[in-house]
Amino acid sequence: MTDEPQDAPVETAEPIADPPVGRRPGREGGAHGESDVGLLEREGDIAADYLEGLLDIADLDGDIDIDVEGNRAAVSIVGADLSSLVGAEGATLEALQELTRLAVHRETGVRSRLMLDIGGHRARRREELTILGTRTAEAVRDSTEPVRLDPMTPFERKVVHDAVSAVDGVLSESEGEEPQRRIVVRPA
Amino acid sequence: MLEDALDHLVRGIVDHPDDVQVDLRTLRRGQVLEVRVHPDDLGKVIGRAGRTAKALRTVMSALGGRGIRVDLVDVDEVR
Repeated sequence: MTDEPQDAPVETAEPIADPPVGRRPGREGGAHGESDVGLLEREGDIAADYLEGLLDIADLDGDIDIDVEGNRAAVSIVGADLSSLVGAEGATLEALQELTRLAVHRETGVRSRLMLDIGGHRARRREELTILGTRTAEAVRDSTEPVRLDPMTPFERKVVHDAVSAVDGVLSESEGEEPQRRIVVRPA
Repeated sequence: MLEDALDHLVRGIVDHPDDVQVDLRTLRRGQVLEVRVHPDDLGKVIGRAGRTAKALRTVMSALGGRGIRVDLVDVDEVR
């Protein structure tokens, strides 16, 4: 499935970084070609500085964890009460992720696919959606009737696609345009 | 605090951070954060289809409450 969160922060006409010659990575391969752990660690450090500065100014308590997951930097803010930074349905979290990606891009010159989590929001959402994807896939397999899910963000769809693909006999695809884009699960 | 937070967020994403200026004005209808950036950075803080400006507004609302407004001031604008 191609539902990687493709919400790259700045869409420019010319590519910012050329992929390595001779190897043209698919979209799943990342905006900057083969994953480069050194670059991703640097992305995490830049993101942490940017976010730490905001926490200090806003007088919010939070620790920042940096990791590399798959081929993207993963930055988490953990702390007691960060719900204001998550916002309704994660809207503030998405906004902060967008700004953090731009801050990283300014320093590295490479478009960032960094994933931000705050207060474990994404981790929890991932669990819920994995269960939803698995149950839906099993229901479609048993009934052979397609099921159309509610619209979701690119991140959410990716989690559901992954859960569906772990069940034999069904497949998932996305239809519609953002922000109404939604997953349909069908018998394979 | 709010103007410092917005100043930090904007400085981090533009090419001319020293040209960023944020002023908090209190009007009768509420508070307005006025952002001024280098003319070359204006597109950057607006973003594709206004996404960056929207993200800045979303975060500032989270920090400052729904009443807060964020205005990007175009320096070439005749006021």
